Amino acid sequence: MISDKGFLVLESGEVFSGLWQGDERALERAGEVVFNTSHSGYEEMASDPSYFSQILVLTAPQQGNYAARDEFRESRALWIEGMVCVEMQNSGRDKAWREHLLQQQIPILTDVDTRQLVIRLRDQGTTWGALVRQPFTETARTRAHELIDAKKTKDLDWAHAVSLREPQTISGDNPTGPRLAALDFGCKANSIRELKIRSREIRIFPSRATSAEIRKYNPDGIFLSNGPGDPKDVQQAVETVRELLGWRFMFGICMGHQILGRALGGETYKLGFGHRGSNHPIKDSLLNKIYMTSQNHGYAIRQETLPRSAVVTHINLNDGTVAGIYDRENKVMGVQFHPESHPGPHEAAQLFDFFVGKTQ
Amino acid sequence: MGRKADLKKVVILGSGPIVIGQACEFDYSGTQACKALMQEGLEVVLINSNPATIMTDKEIATRVYIEPLKLPYVEKILRQEKPDALIPTLGGQTALNLALELDSSGILKELNIELLGATPAVIRAAEDREQFRSILDAVGAAYPKSCMVRTFERGMQVAQELGFPLILRPNYTLGGGGGGVAFSLEEYQVKIAQALHESPTSEVLVEESMLGWQEFELEVMRDKSGTFVVICSIENFDPCGVHTGDSITVAPQQTLSDAAYQAMRDEARKIVEAVGVQTGGANIQFAVDPETGVRKVIEMNPRVSRSSALASKATGFPIAKIAALLAIGYDLQEIRNDITGTTPCCYEPALDYIVTKIPRFAFEKFSGTKDYLTTQMRSVGEVMAVGRTFKESLQKALLAMEESDLGAFPVTLDEKKLAFPNSKRIYHVFQAFREGMTVDAVNKITQINPWFLEHIEELMHFEKRLEKEKLNVGLLWRAKKLGFSDAAIARLGGQTSADVRKTRWQNKIHPAYLQVDTCAGEFKSETPYFYSSYFSPPQAGKFPPEIVALLGSGPNRIGQGVEFDYSCVRSVRQFQKCGHPVAMINSNPETVSTDYDTADVLFFEPLSFEHVLEILNYVRPVGFVGQLGGQTPISLMHRLVAEGYKLLGSSLEAIDLAEDRGLFIKICQELKFRIPLSGMATTLQDAEAIAERIGYPIICRPSYVLGGRRMEIVESTEELKVYFTRHGSFISANSPCLMDQFLDRALEVDVDLVRGPDWTVIGGVVEHIEAAGVHSGDSMGVLPPQRLKPEICRKIEKLSQRLADRLGILGFLNLQLAVRDDEIFMLEANPRSSRSVPFIAKATGIPVVDLGVKGMLGLKAAEVRPEQYVWQNATGVSVKGVVFPFKKFPDSDSILGPEMKSTGETMGRGSDYAEALLKAVVASDLQLPTSGEVFLSLREKDKEELFSLIQSLSAMGFTLSATAGTASYLHQRHVECEVLKKVHEGRPHCVDRIRSGQVAFVINTTSGRTSIEASFGIRRSCVDFSIPCITESDAAQAFVLALQKRKQGEFGVNPL
Repeated sequence: MISDKGFLVLESGEVFSGLWQGDERALERAGEVVFNTSHSGYEEMASDPSYFSQILVLTAPQQGNYAARDEFRESRALWIEGMVCVEMQNSGRDKAWREHLLQQQIPILTDVDTRQLVIRLRDQGTTWGALVRQPFTETARTRAHELIDAKKTKDLDWAHAVSLREPQTISGDNPTGPRLAALDFGCKANSIRELKIRSREIRIFPSRATSAEIRKYNPDGIFLSNGPGDPKDVQQAVETVRELLGWRFMFGICMGHQILGRALGGETYKLGFGHRGSNHPIKDSLLNKIYMTSQNHGYAIRQETLPRSAVVTHINLNDGTVAGIYDRENKVMGVQFHPESHPGPHEAAQLFDFFVGKTQ
Repeated sequence: MGRKADLKKVVILGSGPIVIGQACEFDYSGTQACKALMQEGLEVVLINSNPATIMTDKEIATRVYIEPLKLPYVEKILRQEKPDALIPTLGGQTALNLALELDSSGILKELNIELLGATPAVIRAAEDREQFRSILDAVGAAYPKSCMVRTFERGMQVAQELGFPLILRPNYTLGGGGGGVAFSLEEYQVKIAQALHESPTSEVLVEESMLGWQEFELEVMRDKSGTFVVICSIENFDPCGVHTGDSITVAPQQTLSDAAYQAMRDEARKIVEAVGVQTGGANIQFAVDPETGVRKVIEMNPRVSRSSALASKATGFPIAKIAALLAIGYDLQEIRNDITGTTPCCYEPALDYIVTKIPRFAFEKFSGTKDYLTTQMRSVGEVMAVGRTFKESLQKALLAMEESDLGAFPVTLDEKKLAFPNSKRIYHVFQAFREGMTVDAVNKITQINPWFLEHIEELMHFEKRLEKEKLNVGLLWRAKKLGFSDAAIARLGGQTSADVRKTRWQNKIHPAYLQVDTCAGEFKSETPYFYSSYFSPPQAGKFPPEIVALLGSGPNRIGQGVEFDYSCVRSVRQFQKCGHPVAMINSNPETVSTDYDTADVLFFEPLSFEHVLEILNYVRPVGFVGQLGGQTPISLMHRLVAEGYKLLGSSLEAIDLAEDRGLFIKICQELKFRIPLSGMATTLQDAEAIAERIGYPIICRPSYVLGGRRMEIVESTEELKVYFTRHGSFISANSPCLMDQFLDRALEVDVDLVRGPDWTVIGGVVEHIEAAGVHSGDSMGVLPPQRLKPEICRKIEKLSQRLADRLGILGFLNLQLAVRDDEIFMLEANPRSSRSVPFIAKATGIPVVDLGVKGMLGLKAAEVRPEQYVWQNATGVSVKGVVFPFKKFPDSDSILGPEMKSTGETMGRGSDYAEALLKAVVASDLQLPTSGEVFLSLREKDKEELFSLIQSLSAMGFTLSATAGTASYLHQRHVECEVLKKVHEGRPHCVDRIRSGQVAFVINTTSGRTSIEASFGIRRSCVDFSIPCITESDAAQAFVLALQKRKQGEFGVNPL
């Protein structure tokens, strides 16, 4: 077994020890430390651009159980800065998930008291941290702070960092379906798959596309994707969306939803430790049902700052936060969770039908 | 929304006696549901025939009826109670089937009673396999190719179409009863005939085999608004072919990708909706081809099931309680999650640990039956363990089995034991890796998913390190994280467990106690539900100083079952009333005791010395309770006391005086009690000498046995020799063979008493219906005694009291005595709560367990006021009936003897003996024929005794047939009787007659090993064809009395 002592050091100086997997192949890295409670879907999570710049702590203790498969990828790359869990399968059979991470120089820390760590994150909120391979806690702290400081000074427009640079056009599977524009803030592949089967064409625009560029394409509807980071730090998008309000029907997911909220004049705020998992109950008054959803977000829209025209249609039953809005006047709807799932339950996929229905 | 406004009174059906496939998990679900509905302010009426359960305690429901779960009785109760609704989804298959009967009989419509949770249409849709398959077609779900067979001939055709191996699943049976796998035509012919017989509708689904596929289960819930949640996914360690109740299982599922899991989840949702489940819990089983990922649906239960109990304990989500609340109209989002206290119940639990369940078997009690596992469930209990990794969890579960403090102890590797699933396979899988087999090789032989095997391989690699390397702190920490017990580490390193423990403690290596909170730490929770793990650093416990630790009874086994859980659970309230919070320690997921809100704190942990000691060190209780969990805590007491913990109630010395046979005999001699003559032999030679002295018949057994295992009545020197050959390996200088004079034809009684420092209360005296020689757990019993003379009964009470005083009992004492020719013999004393305690408590209304707690805590007579508890004041008569699992164990003998074989009990309550008896018999599912042929094969000494009984059978219109000896005895007395050949006398013989369905019931009494063996076929054929077969003369008298009472047809039903 190639493993060694390693640490997750939080910005506060708190140290969680564990075993560093994979020798020198993995780099020491810093990121925002977040936890996800899904039982499965490690590959989808690691390749979800929304996890850009984040160290992912998985509460399900055994990871890498079913190896890795290309079709589980949600984007072209793995975006996480590290994976923290209790145990990572290190198996000779199949192509081990562990190997995929190590090839990308992504650190894995196992044997971590993830329960204590999660309770820390829950009680004191999301924080920065770094994964370091050091023999002692003191050296670990020093090294971690260097990494964290360096990471924090980088450009904060994370959506831009993961977005496409040039527009890309994809033909859809439904010849009678709409033509859609998608604004890419770090879009998961399954959102595109869900749109593809319902539309005749999709053009994906970079996160900083202007309203003029989109108007030029003349789509029947506009999709605003998920993406990483604080919506306040995303440049151009709020302006673009504001200029498109009331023009064509827009549907935002996660970051897309937050951008919509801001474009409508609402405020967004950082949640204590976010919602990340596959078991979040949502009360949907649009479809009139309650279902479990996949979630991955650290920010939310503040309900009282929204204009009158925007109705809160979805509520997270765990904490009552805004999970979806609908604005008839401005022709927009947004949901804070992930109807495209991957990982997670599929019940909310109907919202794509709802959206497509509004574009025709 | 909220609950249905017009609902005031609800009936809940229990599941009846404990049988294989339907055990105390339904006590758990029923109790939880009753509590929830009582809290809602509803009037709750509970019907169940099982006295050993918590749910039949008077306080659990508004009114409790201990009556047979049979149409006429339940109908009468419904007429008496006129409830608004009935919930049939909490009492297993028994309750569902009964609900269908109630529906067909028209009573529900007549009385305007609503079925909540599942309508007859839903029950049929899920249970009727053909209907279910058309539903699967409609939702596009695949299922194994199969054919419904209603005749033997069609069965033969189907076999040709589908090819072998084939799986047989009879309709409407529980635990896969009558089902199995057939690998060859020959095997198939036998099984299909039996399966057709077994199904109440004579329908058997013959199915292509999915052997080697992976098996999964989803425990789901749905509310009336259509919200659907998966409470828990469960993955079977054993591939398809082994009944899921007999498989080692893991939760949550581990080897499915999210895509595969979500597809399964979607399918489950569609099926639940298509079947029409309105509200409540359901369970769906899937098979997945490990090669292609193809998924097929195996079955669905539209009710709370055994797996629901496991899922509830595994996740902390109280499925039965929520199912009950959904049934009365709530939606998931309206119910608050008790555990977090803030979030709604509408979510899917997230687990940050791994749960392993291992079934516990009892093949050794059913000699003749081969230890193979098939689609018919055979396990009698199970353990669950929680760990942060599969390795930690699996190793803890193995320790919880209470087979060895080594966990996966070494065995002699047998490839057959790997290839064919059996109760010991897990040990052979460990051994295979211990001996260096590869994951590939073991996977090829066992078809167990490599993911599981890799972990076991890693454990065995680590064993090698423990053997070779000197134990240092790092290695020790690692070993503990991997779940190795101190004893296992000691064995590998050539040390003692005490050495390892010392090293461990010196280095402050202790487990941490982590919370089961349903949400992986995402929300704050105060639930006092804990498991140990070495993956977190130990912390000091914070508990109230007055807390007591209560040791539960571990996995159910024959001889130690739900009765002990009753005592444990019942005692909690009393301890609390006396100012002592309770920390419960148990490893059995089926029980009420392991519900997180039963005690003040729950430790879901193995009842091994190491684990219990760590908990005591963590909790620092004022004392621990060892009298309530059967033999399991008794075997831990000495070592825990040696570590400085206070044993509550009777002292160790008192326990030893009763438990140690030698000491006990001395006490009896001192008190001038008659005891059967006895001796202790370590060799056959000794034994022969002792036999000479005490005379045959003799009961032989190895010392320290539970439920009479390996106990036999030996009638001659010949048989004594055979006994020593068969059981020699259990007899040694340390564990000698106990030999007792057998009191032939004596009347046996059980006495349960509780004692305090200056008081004693006799809970009751139960008279056994069968004569001495049948294990007390297997014999029927009656309270008050019917044959015992009042003055003898008084004498027995006095004797019992004197013995309790002499032993210095504080708390419980159970005594077994025999009476022959007005002489009383003291047979056995158990210094603990016993199997008969719940029965006695319910028969007499005396709160025996509460009093036992007061006794243990040393409360004085002035506070307890013992004089108010007089068991003779009980009105009416109560009879304890028993149920046996012989049907599940082909080729095992159903004759009763000193080794306990029953799995459960029933209770019949009546205004007289006959009525109580009839109810107990009916509740035990014995068919009571009203006409037809009675076949008799009696041993010499019974003929005269049973003569008048035979005459009354004739008078009742039964025809008689008998073997030659019995027949000629009857002919001489001018009783008409057909002569049938014995099996060795050529065909057609009596067994042919029974198998052809011409016999209504059988009385077959025999003694002596050879005649018992010769008459085996008679008893076995009766078991196979569900024909009552009475093997003891007193039981025959009782059975005929019940038949006569049945003919009269009147009965009453009364709540406790």
